[in-house]
Amino acid sequence: MPFHGSVTVIASPRPRVGKTLLTRLLTDFHVQEGHPIAAFDLNVGNGTLAQFLPEQTIVSAIGDVRGQMALFDRLIADDGAVKVVDLGHESFDSFFALTQQIGFTDEALKRAIAPVILYIITPDATAVEAYHGLRRRFPRVALTPVHNEIFGSAQHRNKYRFAGSGEVMLRLPALAPGLRKFIETPPFSFAGPARADLPTELANELQRWLRRAFREFREFDLRVLLADLQSSIRLPS
Amino acid sequence: MPAVPVNKSNIMAKPTVILVGADKGGVGKTTVARTLLDYFGAHQTPTRAFDTESPRGTLKRFHPDATEVVDMTEVADQMKIFDTLGSAAASVTVIDVRAGLLSPTLQALNDIGFIESANKDQINFAVFHILGPSIASLNEIAETARSLGNATYFVVKNRINDTTFFEWDPATYNFYFKQIRDAFEISIPKLNEMACEQVEVASTPFVSFIANKTSRDEKANYSFVLRGYVRHWLSNVWSEFDRVKLIDLVSPKEEVGPRQATG
Repeated sequence: MPFHGSVTVIASPRPRVGKTLLTRLLTDFHVQEGHPIAAFDLNVGNGTLAQFLPEQTIVSAIGDVRGQMALFDRLIADDGAVKVVDLGHESFDSFFALTQQIGFTDEALKRAIAPVILYIITPDATAVEAYHGLRRRFPRVALTPVHNEIFGSAQHRNKYRFAGSGEVMLRLPALAPGLRKFIETPPFSFAGPARADLPTELANELQRWLRRAFREFREFDLRVLLADLQSSIRLPS
Repeated sequence: MPAVPVNKSNIMAKPTVILVGADKGGVGKTTVARTLLDYFGAHQTPTRAFDTESPRGTLKRFHPDATEVVDMTEVADQMKIFDTLGSAAASVTVIDVRAGLLSPTLQALNDIGFIESANKDQINFAVFHILGPSIASLNEIAETARSLGNATYFVVKNRINDTTFFEWDPATYNFYFKQIRDAFEISIPKLNEMACEQVEVASTPFVSFIANKTSRDEKANYSFVLRGYVRHWLSNVWSEFDRVKLIDLVSPKEEVGPRQATG
């Protein structure tokens, strides 16, 4: 059964590891590709997804049932759209507990919606343990480790076993230091026209960076598609 | 906690009567009766129900096809239930006893010789006694147990509406509970209030709500989140029924495996 939608959750139990940056990139990637997309922001405070991409983002909260319904009923809606969730570290445990309790993965697969977790890896024991916990709890989800190259080489990658469609690690390329002040001032869209105040050299650097990041996403999409095709042509034993 | 004993002489199909009652109102008798009807339905066990909230029954609202409203104080209605046990297509009869009528009903069953038939192993008889939050409910246990004969007795702590429902002194509770030979304790977990409310509004069996179906078996548009809450809760309730091997009581031959409330 071919997927005709996906729900990608960008997650880490740690703050300030690049979840929102990754979500912004992924959202703008789909915008640029012309895919219908809805992004959901489960963060509080400054520098949130909703501040960077107000047009695509729905601010969400799962502290009460109404908020849970507003988020999950929309995520599971069979509307063919790509859904992206920027999961703040404060909501990590409650989000996945609820996801498990209400049977989200089974329902998503039943509706041909691919469930994906992009997990930003860090070397600390909490993050490693939480990753393996997700693997145990959600064996049918494409749980994919993401290495944010801003943190240097991923010497801790062996602590993470790769799973599902993410048999290889997805990389978030390191951003040139001079670009940071431009792209971290909201609102900012990577899919929009280049900012007039961006020096040519930095504009070129941004384009190179985006090409690398978007290539990672394209390859990842292909892997999900490939996994989907493999499962759809599997003959009954 | 021991499992419900299965008497090998009972292996022949034998009618089963399950009384669901309490001497207090508002403790969730009908909710438990609904979970039982869904449970037996999931086990393909033909079941009928009688709702004693005459003239308008709550159970009938949720399970209209399986339920008949009766007045347990009327001899004609008692005949309707008990004289048809051997001839009805359904092997299980669930009776949702109106608030305050549990003790009188058990007395009436004694008077008509039903308890004696159960004692002679001609009928499987079980009582689901739904406890209320007060200490007075504990007195009911001893009082009810005296009228039971060989019935299988389930003491049900229904937490569906309130997590702080049971705060009895454990010693006091055990004192009453242990007076009853072969009593089984069942705990009904809490269900999210909004999910509970939406099933009420939908007026469907829990399994239909989970499957996103209306009472007329048409596709509905219930919240996926609320359906998820109900699915999770009903699975936990059925796990309790599995734990006490309830299905062995009504159909001893059946192998019971883990089963989920799927939607």
